Amino acid sequence: MTGMIALLVLLSLIVLFPRYGAWAQLRRWRFLRQREQVEDALKHLLSREQEGRHASLESLAGCLGLSTARTLRLIEEMQKQNLVEWQGRRLHLTPQGERWALHVVRAHRLWERYLADEARMPLEKIHAEAHRREHGLSEAELDALEAALGHPSHDPHGDPIPDEGAAAGQPEGIELTRWDLDRPARIVHLEDEPELALAQILASGLRLGQIVRVIERTPQRIVLSDGENEYRLAPAVAANIYVVEAHRVEKAPGAIPLSRLPQGQEAEVVEIDPSVQGFTRRRFLDLGLTPGARVVPELSNFFGDPRAYRLRGTLIALRQDQAEKIWVRRSQNNPTEAL
Amino acid sequence: MKRLNATGCESCPAYAGLEQMGLRADHFDRVVALAGNPNTGKSTLFNLLTGLKQHTGNWPGKTVTRAEGGYQFRGVRYKLVDLPGTYSLLSASQDEEVARDFILFGRPDCVIVVADATALERNLNLAFQVMEITEKVVIAVNLMDEARRKGLEVDTRLLSRELGVPCVPISARRGEGIYDLLSTVADVIEGRIQTHPRRIQGTPEFQQAVERLVPLIEKLAPGVPNARWIAIRLLDGDAHVQEALLSGELLRRVARQRQAETSFSRKMAVEGRQ
Amino acid sequence: MSESEMLAQEVLREAERLRRSLSGNFRDEMVKSLYTEAERVARRAVRPIGERKYDLDRLLDRLVTSPWTGLPIMLLLLAVIIWITVVGANIPSELLAQLLFGIEAFAADLFTAWGAPWWLTGFLWHGVWRGLAWVISVMLPPMAIFFPLFTFLEDLGYLPRVAFNLDWLFKKAGAHGKQALSMAMGFGCNAAGVIATRVIDSPRERLVAILTNNFVPCNGRFPTLIMLATIFVAASFPPLLSSFVAAATVLAVVLIGIGFTFLMSWLLTRTLLRGEASAFTLELPPYRPPNVWRILYTSLIDRTIFVLWRAMQTAAPAGALIWILGNVYLGPMSLAQRLAAFLNPLGHLLGLDGAILLAYVIAIPANEIVVPTLLMIYMGTGMMTELPSLNMLKELLVQQHGWTLLTAINLMLFSLLHNPCATTILTIYKETGSKKWATWSVIVTLGSAFVVTFLVATLARTIFRQ
Repeated sequence: MTGMIALLVLLSLIVLFPRYGAWAQLRRWRFLRQREQVEDALKHLLSREQEGRHASLESLAGCLGLSTARTLRLIEEMQKQNLVEWQGRRLHLTPQGERWALHVVRAHRLWERYLADEARMPLEKIHAEAHRREHGLSEAELDALEAALGHPSHDPHGDPIPDEGAAAGQPEGIELTRWDLDRPARIVHLEDEPELALAQILASGLRLGQIVRVIERTPQRIVLSDGENEYRLAPAVAANIYVVEAHRVEKAPGAIPLSRLPQGQEAEVVEIDPSVQGFTRRRFLDLGLTPGARVVPELSNFFGDPRAYRLRGTLIALRQDQAEKIWVRRSQNNPTEAL
Repeated sequence: MKRLNATGCESCPAYAGLEQMGLRADHFDRVVALAGNPNTGKSTLFNLLTGLKQHTGNWPGKTVTRAEGGYQFRGVRYKLVDLPGTYSLLSASQDEEVARDFILFGRPDCVIVVADATALERNLNLAFQVMEITEKVVIAVNLMDEARRKGLEVDTRLLSRELGVPCVPISARRGEGIYDLLSTVADVIEGRIQTHPRRIQGTPEFQQAVERLVPLIEKLAPGVPNARWIAIRLLDGDAHVQEALLSGELLRRVARQRQAETSFSRKMAVEGRQ
Repeated sequence: MSESEMLAQEVLREAERLRRSLSGNFRDEMVKSLYTEAERVARRAVRPIGERKYDLDRLLDRLVTSPWTGLPIMLLLLAVIIWITVVGANIPSELLAQLLFGIEAFAADLFTAWGAPWWLTGFLWHGVWRGLAWVISVMLPPMAIFFPLFTFLEDLGYLPRVAFNLDWLFKKAGAHGKQALSMAMGFGCNAAGVIATRVIDSPRERLVAILTNNFVPCNGRFPTLIMLATIFVAASFPPLLSSFVAAATVLAVVLIGIGFTFLMSWLLTRTLLRGEASAFTLELPPYRPPNVWRILYTSLIDRTIFVLWRAMQTAAPAGALIWILGNVYLGPMSLAQRLAAFLNPLGHLLGLDGAILLAYVIAIPANEIVVPTLLMIYMGTGMMTELPSLNMLKELLVQQHGWTLLTAINLMLFSLLHNPCATTILTIYKETGSKKWATWSVIVTLGSAFVVTFLVATLARTIFRQ
């Protein structure tokens, strides 16, 4: 008998205990879950508005993967919080809703920057991870994150990171599929969804900031050239690449990645690839990899990775995947030493 | 107190007037910080001056925390603080933060920047950064013997002129130039040598931005010794300095310094960051 | 909000505004102008004098990093250092042991003469003192040889080259090339190896290095490995070959340990310690002639004495515990024998036996006293014991306690993979400042030891018994 009572007490404790009990946990989980849904909905509305299209009940339900009834409940909840309003069948963000949406976008892009720079996650993985982390951060926490990252201006896909309160720049450029043949274009944005398309683009070797020309376009494929290599993509994949007019010559002619510089060949640093940001970039700069610095690959080991470079009087070893991000130009004068 | 003849350099004039004080650095009159790139012989110099045996190894990143010791020169007791070897004070990695915070907030009476004569360019980058923070800088151009072996000659007089702070050639391993270094440090501290460190100009845009911020900072914290440097750090978005500004930490330090101008630097040196 | 706070906010806002108004990246521009200025000044102040002599540094570097000579030189150096350590430590170890055990015998006699009760004499001298004496006499000489040699290579500037040579492998495992240094240091002493991970600046990669350091056998485990390789593996070969076979066996075990280091690093960076890889930069400093006195001071005072002191702190209580277990009787069997019997089923499952497991549990302060403790349990003596010759040892193990080749191999594997000694665990706790990681270091190693020995035992039994 006492055993039964003890068991009951224990069970009710497990369920009802404040903060740590199952009931409290469930409630918190539901609260967080709803907040996530609200934030995802806000993002959807924001992106629709920036594209000049309007969000509807159906588009929102489709984006969130919810039934129409549940989406309606969500919208009601959001209306109560004064985040959205109906204009006929169109759903609009209120100024308050837009502020919150921008906050989430900022969180998302800052996290992407963090994951790419500091955690060095592969680019095609960061969108999903950032999506998990973007919720529930306060303004102050975001400010701290931004400061720690050195106030980046763009996310790793090339999208501008909104300032606190300021309007989010929408991705510049137009889809590559609509670009004229043979007109030099600079890649300014790689759409991060669907993940598969991004992975394909990255696997082909295309990077943000690269200058390309469309040399062939058929319904089956699009062929690009950067003057050295050719890239073949399915049009559906190419539509995820956004380009603008290549006004200035981005890479000095003849610039090659440091990783490809032959042993003993002196070269001059042109720039650190813009995709390298945050701590890694600061470290590179502090080591003296500034434009104009002279480097010579001096040592290589059994595996060919890392290699050691003579840089401003010191031997510094860099892994090949890092040296790939440093653009150099061969010096005119001879190799320092032909050993 | 051990005279430095144990190392086998009894007749060496370099050591005249130097007494190593090892760890007994509790009563001292001046605080001197040792900064420099990794592998420049900073620790060799530290051990030579203090008689301590701090091991660093020929391996960067070994000294993560600062080591302290003492020496006496011409009757004045100096506390010597060996900062972690870094290439820069900007990256905000842990050891760079330790080094920078001590130079900024520890307010040493003088900073010796140990530079490697065989890789001067890289070492001067750090020297310039230290010179942005404080005026009381002496540059010890170490490894002069190695540079000669590599067929390089360093003109330290020209270097002093270019940088606006005294540069002293030394060879810490052989104990050459130590007397010169110590008397130069003493002269800089006592004001017998006036330093005018050369500061980086940067682009006109950069200069304008700095010039706009400096008066604001001086208004906020009158008497702050390095408003220019703080302006640069704020422009760079240095979270640490922003924090110090917002929390009033910077103000408190300036106020406290004015209250007790003389004892302040010593006290802070003991407390370090706290 | 006070006036100054408002002013501070204003300053920050203005800085923010200015930063955004600047074209280009502020940091890039600033560092560039710093270096440009440094370059200009350096170019004026530095003049080449005369012809540059042939650069010895470069020649050396080519030799120790080149694809074909780099790795062999590295392995050779490692082998030579371990060999010098193991061989060179024999005689001083013997002398120290004679001295310290002589003191024990003398003091015990004195106590008996004074009429002290047997348990007091036993506890103090055959327990606590013997534990200390054993640890000192087997630990001190190898460390006093290994650390100076290692410090010599360190001060010379060779170790960053090792990191350079091996970084690719470590990168594949998600770790940092500098882990090569802490790993090499681990051959001397895992506690020192854990301290050596300080050179790795990224916290995550440093933790990987700390948690896997124990997979390389330290000085304390080499004698056990050599003993087992000699009397079980090499004995069946002709005398001429046998010492080669023994050496090859030990080398194979070391390589398995290194393999495990990579495997566990790989696993850890994909499970417990995901993400946050740091930028890899490694300076290869110029070679510098090391200062002999500094080397001796550092390696003897900072490293050897430091580690020995930590080991002694744990050895004394362990000595006491071992003595109690060997001398308290429950019925006809001592406590130690009862516990061994209790652990026997588990030991059997792993291809070992209960006494071995018990020896590893109670000899946790130092790997050096595992075998003496084991012999104490087997022979039922009341104190840690040694046998005068390898043959007698083999007879005891094989004839009386049924050891097979499987037992020997699994014991070697267990010795290689099992949990760190108490000194190392304590050091891990002090270095990471967290009980969590100290616990994980035990879980990771002990887990691998159990899994591997269990698999080997099961495999061997399935193959050979059917």
